Amino acid sequence: MSSLIPLVEKEVKDLLRDPRIYIGLIVPVVILPIIGFTMSAATHSSIESAVGGGVKVAVLDLDKTQTSLSFLKFANTTGLKVFEVKVDTVKEALKELKGNDAKILIVIPKGFESKISSLEGSTLALYFEVKSVGFGEMSTFSAVNRVVKLYSKTLSDTIISSIKPGINPTIVRTPLNTTSYTVIHDRILSMPPEAVFGQLFMGYGIIVPVVLMIVSIMVAQIAATATAVENEEKTLETLLTLPVSRYEILIAKVIGSTVVAVLGTLFSMLGFALYFRILFPLQEISGSAHLGTTALPAPTPQMYLALCLSLLIAIFFTTSLGVIVGALSSDVRISNSLIGAVIIPIMIPAFLIMYGDVRSLPLALQALVYALPVSYPMIIAKNMILSELPVEAVYGIPYSAGVTLLLLLLTSRLLVPEKLLLLQHKILTRRMRRKGEVSEK
Amino acid sequence: MFAVDIQNLVKLFGSVKALDGISFQVEEGEVYGLIGPNGAGKTTMLRILATLLLPTKGSAKVFGLDVVSQASEVRRIIAYLAEEAGAYRNLSGYEYLWIMAKIYFKSRQEAREAVDLAVEASGLGERVHDKVKTYSKGMKRRLQVARVFMAKPRLAILDEPTAGLDVIHANHIRRLVRDYTKEHNTTVIMSSHNMLEVEYICDRVALIDKGKMVAEGSPKELKTMWEASNLEEVFVKVVGVE
Repeated sequence: MSSLIPLVEKEVKDLLRDPRIYIGLIVPVVILPIIGFTMSAATHSSIESAVGGGVKVAVLDLDKTQTSLSFLKFANTTGLKVFEVKVDTVKEALKELKGNDAKILIVIPKGFESKISSLEGSTLALYFEVKSVGFGEMSTFSAVNRVVKLYSKTLSDTIISSIKPGINPTIVRTPLNTTSYTVIHDRILSMPPEAVFGQLFMGYGIIVPVVLMIVSIMVAQIAATATAVENEEKTLETLLTLPVSRYEILIAKVIGSTVVAVLGTLFSMLGFALYFRILFPLQEISGSAHLGTTALPAPTPQMYLALCLSLLIAIFFTTSLGVIVGALSSDVRISNSLIGAVIIPIMIPAFLIMYGDVRSLPLALQALVYALPVSYPMIIAKNMILSELPVEAVYGIPYSAGVTLLLLLLTSRLLVPEKLLLLQHKILTRRMRRKGEVSEK
Repeated sequence: MFAVDIQNLVKLFGSVKALDGISFQVEEGEVYGLIGPNGAGKTTMLRILATLLLPTKGSAKVFGLDVVSQASEVRRIIAYLAEEAGAYRNLSGYEYLWIMAKIYFKSRQEAREAVDLAVEASGLGERVHDKVKTYSKGMKRRLQVARVFMAKPRLAILDEPTAGLDVIHANHIRRLVRDYTKEHNTTVIMSSHNMLEVEYICDRVALIDKGKMVAEGSPKELKTMWEASNLEEVFVKVVGVE
């Protein structure tokens, strides 16, 4: 296999220097952070212009009491720019909004103070005039709502303390609390199940399928393009007369495409990571802030090994399909139009596993799911935190390795110009015939 | 033992007979030319010898090795230049030669010497370090011919080595083929449409038409036999086209 190294070197160099490939690799790392930065800057500027400069709020005080005046003062101390409208009705007050560049009107009803004092509770009416659609508008409303809630809490603290001095008002407000635990395989986690599912879903429900999807599509596309370019540039003919086996040529293509696709996936993931980091710089992972020392159990090394192995087999499987499509295409255009039609249907069963219950599917569909090597990374990812490999994967990994080897072998058999020329001619004739039919219609 | 031994070779593409019972032999160290009109079967003949196509009937041997049953052994002693063969666009000419040398030669030293020779033979100078996509058609062809001889093959198979090239590039390739084969006793089988080229390079020539061999001999023998002043006249007389 000594010829394999120069062949792989040729594949990787030729692919990585191809503008169609390297632009595709670089774009996510450059574009996604730019999009994130642009969105973040736009959001911040609209929020700042809405909140930072002091939200202008009109107040129609129909009560005119000590308590309503105290609310106005409180609101002014929180940064809101409160001004009172001297009219009698809500309709007239709303007209005042326009002239004062304000969007929010707070109406303090008559009997506000007396209802609070008699513990009946009172209701403030908030009118929000929509002037545009954006994050800034929502922030304005949230800022005012927050101030009202804060004042309500201050009021309740005062009332509770006046009724029973020395008591903790928070206990009166929420006398019943819960502490949630999640049990995974005899291990008790001090986390609510929604936080566990959130982390699991983010980790294994999104990242693994996304990685699998990006790698599989990219690797198949790269392998198909690389092989179709060999046909187009007439280099395959030379390659097949070199003192190397068809299997070495195929393996070199599989390795070369995989290296480039893995690199592309890393760039894509980096792009996404930067995008989320820029867009949500202060966002904590849900449920992780108050968990104390307990976290999700780490998957066992065997599970990681099984996941990597199944991913590698899936990648080799889709690369072989890419090489077949590329080899059968006399040019890149044909290969590009064929590859999607081949890869997308193959990925659908894998997503059925992640987002549905395969056992509830009809038997024929179940058989299809289990027949495809791309299904197994999903099966393992779904059961990642379990201590034992799921039974499907125990039998599935060797099975899919066998299927992939068989496909690689069949693909290498296909790399014979005699067969290729015949099949390429058939595909081309069929396409031309179809086009002819379309134009006739 | 003949360098090339073709016996009653037939190749069918569906109902089309590309080769119709051709037989000929090429001696070691000989430069053998195949000439004939378009579609005569020249490229099919060369592709069978290069182990790319399988004969329908008959046999083809290269230094005693059967191109069907011993294809991988045949590939170790041949180098093939396909018509319009390209190189990898995003590699430099030097990188291309270096990768090919690593495939042909097991020792790094041998590979390096072969590349140095190929760089010189290609005549590309400093341009050999530029990417292939910046090369003209002639430069690409010179690179490919250099790649063929760099492999030190016992049999070089050249399909239209100078087709579509200007006088300067074509002349460079002709001289390269002529000089290299004489110097290294390499056997060459080539096809061409250029009669002048065939007369200049080839020791013997076979005229093929509609998959059959219609004449064979040295350029001098053919001219005498057909009472022609050059091979072009022989070609026209043999094929029967005015």
